[in-house]
Amino acid sequence: MEAFIIEKTEETPEIILNPTENVFKISYRSLPENANGFYAPVFEWLEEFRENPTDDIQFIFELEYFNTASAKQIAKILLILEKISHDVSLEVIWKYRKEDGDMMSSGLRYSKLLDVEFTIQEIED
Amino acid sequence: MEKITYGFKLFEGMQKDNLGYIYRGLFTQNITDSIISLAENNLESSGESSKVKKRVFSIMVECLQNVTRHQTPQNNANISPDQAGIFVIQNHNDAYQITSGNVVETNVIPHLEEMLNKINSLEKEDLKAYYKEILEDGSISDKGGAGLGLIEMARKSGNKLFFDFKTLNTNLSYFYLHTAISKDTENSFNEIDLNNIKNLHEIVNRENIILIYNGCLNQEGLIHLLSIIESQSIGAVEIKKKLFNIMVEMLQNIVKHGEKKDNELGGNPGIFFISESNNSYTLSTGNYIKKSKVDELSRKIDHVNSIDGDDLDMFYTKRLLNFDIDNSKEAGLGIIDLRMKSCNKLLYSFSEVNNDVSFFSLQVII
Repeated sequence: MEAFIIEKTEETPEIILNPTENVFKISYRSLPENANGFYAPVFEWLEEFRENPTDDIQFIFELEYFNTASAKQIAKILLILEKISHDVSLEVIWKYRKEDGDMMSSGLRYSKLLDVEFTIQEIED
Repeated sequence: MEKITYGFKLFEGMQKDNLGYIYRGLFTQNITDSIISLAENNLESSGESSKVKKRVFSIMVECLQNVTRHQTPQNNANISPDQAGIFVIQNHNDAYQITSGNVVETNVIPHLEEMLNKINSLEKEDLKAYYKEILEDGSISDKGGAGLGLIEMARKSGNKLFFDFKTLNTNLSYFYLHTAISKDTENSFNEIDLNNIKNLHEIVNRENIILIYNGCLNQEGLIHLLSIIESQSIGAVEIKKKLFNIMVEMLQNIVKHGEKKDNELGGNPGIFFISESNNSYTLSTGNYIKKSKVDELSRKIDHVNSIDGDDLDMFYTKRLLNFDIDNSKEAGLGIIDLRMKSCNKLLYSFSEVNNDVSFFSLQVII
């Protein structure tokens, strides 16, 4: 399946969904005015990927910040990943910067909601 | 509740003045860039002519450079409150009114006055000649200026340079510099009273306000406001992050849920200000909302205020997974998030504006 790539802006994250290279990553920050609109193509891609997923996936979230509108979209992404993990091996890795307690708590919250391998990882600045 | 009433009063006073915004504090390259971008966005979305826009920018640049260059002590984040530089842009009397303020040594005042009076006495053509004269003279002071910036300002504004001083102590004074860019170049101002600005400055100093923004707000403006706050030298990473988070939610509330009162262009009208005291920050917003939504919003905030700890956390999670409330307008999480991040109760008030709209003030303390 063809890779899905969005470059980061001041208000939206970098998104890389590349099965060929086995890179799945959402990073930087997410505060679009219209989070639904921004994430719609991501869901579309993931739903198609779900039909025929690759194995051994590490799906990385490395966000510095997301607004509440994005929080819900991230929940939706994670729910799709949970479904994918029924068919192939998939691990969610939630990275947060040292001292960023809020980002760690968000990871914890999501991990409790899901039945999927979920690792919370502290990274240095 | 006392404070929030104060916030509304501030807003009311400013609405009358139709104020644009005030920044007070340390001026760095990043901060001045953001202030300029913010103005660019405002002028752009209000459909201002490119001629006026250009003049506003060049004067803003000169003013901001003046403040940056003359802020004392240099590069020090811990300037005493009444010595911090200030920049104000307002839109009234059919003109953009720009004021800058910074500390100067009292002994340079006579020289400064002489220079300003000289500039004000010259007509447009003479200003050009005077500019050349100074340029060729080459006696440029080590802080970079020899009045060239001031001459530029006078030329571009088409108005006089208004100024005033305030004594701070035996060595230092505060220097206010003001000019106006008339939207219709035929109009010029002969006299401008700087007392309003000086009073406002006193309030801003007393309340330790860093930033006041009053005007139409859209997502782009929000991004510029955020970068002004991001560039602040706030010690603790955690606090800075919280400030950023809370600002996004509060401002996006205005962008998404704010109501227009008249047919404002370029976003929803609102006010935002942020003040600091003893390492605690108070963020306030004010915007119009439909009167019919007042009861529901009050209930929502009261409920969120009435719970804390695990209950609050559970409430958030419940809303997070409620995909029924999930459209481009709301996720239903903003208010809960504000309450969680601030660890304080949210202060709010409503005041009726007319039959259709009320004014909603919200204050978050961290």
